[in-house]
Amino acid sequence: MKLYVSSDMEGVAGVTSWQQVDARTPHPEYAIFRRYYTLEVRAAIDGAREAGVTDVLVNDSHGPMHNLLFDELPSDVRVVFGNRKPYSMAQDADGGFGGAFFVGYHGGAGDADAVLCHTYAPSVIYEARVNGILCSEATLNAGLLGYYGVPVLLVTGDRTTVDGVARQMPWVTGAIVKESIGSFAANSLSPAAARDAIFHAAREAVSRAKGAKPYVFTPPLALDVQLVTAAQADLVASIPSFERTGGRSVRFVHDEFPVLFRAFVAAWRMGGLAS
Amino acid sequence: MKLYVSCDMEGTAGVCSWRQCDPEDRDEYPIYRRYMTHEVRAAIDGAREGGATEFLVNDSHWSMRNLLWDELPSSVRVIAGAPKPHSMAEGLDGGSDGVFLTGYHAKSGARDGVLAHTFSDETVYRVTINGVECSEALLVGALAGANGIPVLLVTGDSTIVAETLRAFPWAVGVAVKESIGYYAANTLTPQAAQIAIRAGARDAMARVAAARPFAFAGPVEMRLETTGAQHADFIELMPGFERLDGRTVRFSADDYPTVYRAYVAAVRLAGAASAPA
Repeated sequence: MKLYVSSDMEGVAGVTSWQQVDARTPHPEYAIFRRYYTLEVRAAIDGAREAGVTDVLVNDSHGPMHNLLFDELPSDVRVVFGNRKPYSMAQDADGGFGGAFFVGYHGGAGDADAVLCHTYAPSVIYEARVNGILCSEATLNAGLLGYYGVPVLLVTGDRTTVDGVARQMPWVTGAIVKESIGSFAANSLSPAAARDAIFHAAREAVSRAKGAKPYVFTPPLALDVQLVTAAQADLVASIPSFERTGGRSVRFVHDEFPVLFRAFVAAWRMGGLAS
Repeated sequence: MKLYVSCDMEGTAGVCSWRQCDPEDRDEYPIYRRYMTHEVRAAIDGAREGGATEFLVNDSHWSMRNLLWDELPSSVRVIAGAPKPHSMAEGLDGGSDGVFLTGYHAKSGARDGVLAHTFSDETVYRVTINGVECSEALLVGALAGANGIPVLLVTGDSTIVAETLRAFPWAVGVAVKESIGYYAANTLTPQAAQIAIRAGARDAMARVAAARPFAFAGPVEMRLETTGAQHADFIELMPGFERLDGRTVRFSADDYPTVYRAYVAAVRLAGAASAPA
């Protein structure tokens, strides 16, 4: 079985602040947590391999998307590395995968008790919905994977994130590495204990793959995005085929989920120009 | 008769560097901002002598809040600020009888065009509509034309004036300078330019009966070539855009205004690609 791994950083054990995940400045803390992040990905891969996974593709999905430390990964995985991928956190999902892992994921914009919660662009996206369903990053990425027939098998992160995914995709195995206390604090496992939990959850998740389903949004599809400010909506509404539905809201309607997903990427990138 | 004025800055007499046009510049910009305003005022004064009664001025340069209110007639309306969905052509959706383009400059890549560019100096290499390579003057003039409004006057360097008159032969052109490459010009003084623009504006009004709206026949296809592949990467994310090669995207629609708005959106999103990844 081929496994797809989308790895983010805010949901890694011990992470409670932007400095720890800030790859761009970068903050000295980042170097520490970058290693924990890589080792959580490795634990997930190791667990999956014990349950029969053969090929692994890891999509580095955090910040500038070149965070993983290659020396800490198995040498026989492929990595999608680097920024500005059209399908972003779900790039190259169409490769015939038997399942997907979401490692280090975090809560959606506005979630209570979710460390560093956001949906793609923290200062731009207030809320995103597809066909009325409130979407976290996990939801949107699962939708693209689902379009290609790939079910999500595992999610790791804080309890809010894991519970949120379980509500939308009850077949997903969860590894809860911390209990968030607001946006910037958590009661966390140690990184070592988190790796152990992720390893075992990954093995279980693959062994339960037969019961998993692709998460599919049924066309016609309507994407409703609420921006943080009206100035952002001014810009986003200028994207072809976008409709302004309110001071801070826009809508895009299309039958193909990949087109909708890319339109969402265009929307938050365009909205970011307002600041 | 109601007149619409889209005023840019690079085609103002004397302008030959970005510092003169950059609202962040504290030394040169305040001087040339005043000349820009006075050229707009000269165009309005001439048009009034030629029979225009009402004026809508769309500040179309950079931050789009360059015009000095105290130097304009108090009876005009001004569209100030950015971003605007139609950018340099905001407010051109009807109600005006003619268009003036003042302070305009040559298109991206033009030879002998001071500060020549097409919306973005940084990201736009070339834009064609139905195979015709477009300047800002042509893009804006075509939006006016789609709404039945003819271009009557264009002012700027001799390169953009000559090119614009080929597309809109009924218009009057006032060349305030001869560009010598991208950063130099043989120019009229601002005072002489204002006199020439006032006379040209009056003349343009006298020829209004012969003026025609310019329109691209539908279906309308835009091809946009960006300076780098990273810009096309972003533009391609938007619905309706097709990637033709590393630096080329295509967008088609039945009507030109939809294509024009897509162009504005494309240039904006391309700008986001210039930031560090």
